[in-house]
Amino acid sequence: MIKVQEDDFSVDALYQQLLKKNKTGAVAMFVGLVRQFAEDTPSTSKNQNEDCAFELEHYPGMTERNLQTIVDEANARWPLLEVVVVHRVGRLSIDDQIVFVGVSAGHRAEAFSACDFIMDYLKSRAAFWKKETQGSESKWVEANTKDEKSLERWS
Amino acid sequence: MTKVKVVFFASLKESVKCDAYTLECDLPMSIAQLKTQLSSELENGQALLEQGIQSSVDFEFTRDSDQVTEAVQEVAFFPPVTGG
Repeated sequence: MIKVQEDDFSVDALYQQLLKKNKTGAVAMFVGLVRQFAEDTPSTSKNQNEDCAFELEHYPGMTERNLQTIVDEANARWPLLEVVVVHRVGRLSIDDQIVFVGVSAGHRAEAFSACDFIMDYLKSRAAFWKKETQGSESKWVEANTKDEKSLERWS
Repeated sequence: MTKVKVVFFASLKESVKCDAYTLECDLPMSIAQLKTQLSSELENGQALLEQGIQSSVDFEFTRDSDQVTEAVQEVAFFPPVTGG
């Protein structure tokens, strides 16, 4: 299942979707959260955390297709039972959940690897853009070359 | 002349001050050629030519050398993605 949505998600509910009776031997799950992004710029504001927010933009139609391509590739590489990807868009605050990737399989090795692979590709090959807002200032997040480099692990 | 729908996202959308534009052009042409024509028609269009700007045709990532044909529904330009 692949979903792009504004609403929050329940990890418990998504976990249940990953279980296949008498087949599942391993489930690997990843949850990405909004963290304090101004950690490199010391601030004197006591309420810094409360002012921080993300605006997540996506390209309806393309984003879902990108995610499907990534999940298809994961299924081609490993024998998986179920894959669930949920990514939120819209306005998010510190500590909010952003993304869920869950993979079930017969054994842990493929579950771990596929979960890692999907997150890696989601970072660099899915049409999402983050904008940080702090107080009255906002700026678009720049792509991290580390993320692109991380893909080399899978080639 | 053919009309091509072009859409923009994130910081690029703000730079060119529009989220969609209908370009009249002679197809087929490459993404690079389309970008050059667009940049001369849009306000602050040089933002399109900045390094790292990515493109897609009908929801598939494309490169500068890829061709845009008359069968194309929608072309998009955007900065590198930052999801997850």
